[in-house]
Amino acid sequence: MSKTIKNYVNGEWLDSTAAQFSPVRDPATCELLAQCPDSTAEDVAIAVEAAKAAFDEWRSTPVLVRAQYMHHFKVMVEDNFEEISRIVVREHGKTMDEARGEVRRGIESIDFAMSVPVLMRSDGLEDISSGIDETTLRQPAGIFAAITPFNFPFMVPLWFLPTAITCGNTFILKPSPQTPLSTEFLFEMLDELDLPEGVVNLVNGGVASATALMEHPDITGVSFVGSSPVAKIIYETCTRNGKRVQAQGGAKNYIAVMPDANIEASVSNILGAAYGCAGQRCLAAAVAVGVGDAYDQLKDELAKRVAALKVGYGLDETSQMGTVISDAARERIEDMIAQSLDDGADLVVDGRNLSVDGYENGSWVGPTLIADVEPETTMATEEVFGPVLSLMKADSFEDAVDIINQSRYGNAASIFTNNGKYAREFKYSVNAGNIGVNIGVAAPSASFPFGGQKDSFFGDLHGQGMDSIEFYTERKIVIERWV
Amino acid sequence: MASLNTFGAILSHAVELESQLSAWYSRLGEADKAKAADKRRVKLERARRENVVEITLEPIEGLNADDYTLDLNDDSAAGQQAAAQVAARFYQDVAPKINVRAAQRTLERCGREHAG
Repeated sequence: MSKTIKNYVNGEWLDSTAAQFSPVRDPATCELLAQCPDSTAEDVAIAVEAAKAAFDEWRSTPVLVRAQYMHHFKVMVEDNFEEISRIVVREHGKTMDEARGEVRRGIESIDFAMSVPVLMRSDGLEDISSGIDETTLRQPAGIFAAITPFNFPFMVPLWFLPTAITCGNTFILKPSPQTPLSTEFLFEMLDELDLPEGVVNLVNGGVASATALMEHPDITGVSFVGSSPVAKIIYETCTRNGKRVQAQGGAKNYIAVMPDANIEASVSNILGAAYGCAGQRCLAAAVAVGVGDAYDQLKDELAKRVAALKVGYGLDETSQMGTVISDAARERIEDMIAQSLDDGADLVVDGRNLSVDGYENGSWVGPTLIADVEPETTMATEEVFGPVLSLMKADSFEDAVDIINQSRYGNAASIFTNNGKYAREFKYSVNAGNIGVNIGVAAPSASFPFGGQKDSFFGDLHGQGMDSIEFYTERKIVIERWV
Repeated sequence: MASLNTFGAILSHAVELESQLSAWYSRLGEADKAKAADKRRVKLERARRENVVEITLEPIEGLNADDYTLDLNDDSAAGQQAAAQVAARFYQDVAPKINVRAAQRTLERCGREHAG
């Protein structure tokens, strides 16, 4: 009998009023791990009420005390590091290294939140007129919610929650119903912190609870990470309801490889960028553009090394790539691979119909390499969100930049080169929010905003870095004279 | 043959190696050596936890766990020396394969301690 996940509201674990539940499975073993409730608008209303009631006391709690909670929270996460990583592997299917990397990056976000006492400070100016001083105050803005995806179930909630509450806001998290277990563990740790009741709340579910959060009049702002079509809906719904919103969408990330690049070293990094987390990350390398002579070298080296990657269960530390999230995802990815062949591409390494000994029912798609992909085809333009790397050829650096800038997405782009001029021109002219130079996964650390342009981001202020301080605070200008 | 083909596989093998050595030295009444091995294990666990960098995780090639099997049945001084040599060789071989300098340094230091 699997457990039913509960919501965490006002400092208590509560049963959802949901009538429907979705299964949470280990995508490698197919074991049923839990049932996740499809929480209702009523569940959301109860959570908002708790967050609202907690706000006044929490915002007046000294900021140094709020930051101190984060110190204790970090220690808890460090102490439970291996257990959290194992939970992430089991509910998501990624490898143990990838799960550890995810938890580590989550901790970086807690570290960032500890600096809120410095980052919330603001400025002032004496004598803007005779005897009149003007200052800026930065204050918490209210109740915030985050709607987070399956692919980084522990890390992405931590992009938002620690900074939001350390700024003095109260918070409601709605994680992906496919991966609710690591956030359940996260809230078990938060419960141990003895935060005032209602400061942090967890509502599990899908569309109904997400919609209720976006439409609730007492919620100030919503953070979202997911696909572009949904990000656009989130942005439109939230703005229509007068909320702040940062909605991070999907991607089609290109990598340009110049003839002067060290191909062997570049391929080592590109393998991690394309096949890490089985390609299920918004910064995954999707298309490698070989410029001139680099194309054939890149293709040969990738063909050799992609085929050698070991796919297996994430808890086996010799696995270099794990599963995709579900059978539905596997079928969708395999259909896209078939479509690319119909479109005339050359399948160099075929990851379809993979079976892993001992885990025959798992949602496996092996690392796939497709060459000679044409720019206008689905494989070049649509997000696969799976372990598929496409190869395209460009005659020159300028052609490569043109190909990259034709994408409607603008999450990340990278260049592999030993030439500073190309690197500089790439940074200057490519329309993407995160740029990598000899780095395939251009993932900003917690003190920098997570970029994203075009259809990869809807909103003004991004997650992480100073943008998050702006997002989670209200500025008030005070002009004073004493006579 | 178990491949040491990931950052985690290498660090976890190192952790296991030091755990085995610590238990063995304890059984032999070598308290100082047991304590040193345990200290290294803690450092290696920390390195595994703190130095896993998501953006530079890359496949690792050319290392197999079977090449570094400890013989913990020979309790003699020569047996102890042989085990230390295997451990030193392990750290010497794996450190250059790790692309995070802090973790590499931890492995190099463990190797130096075993080499005496």
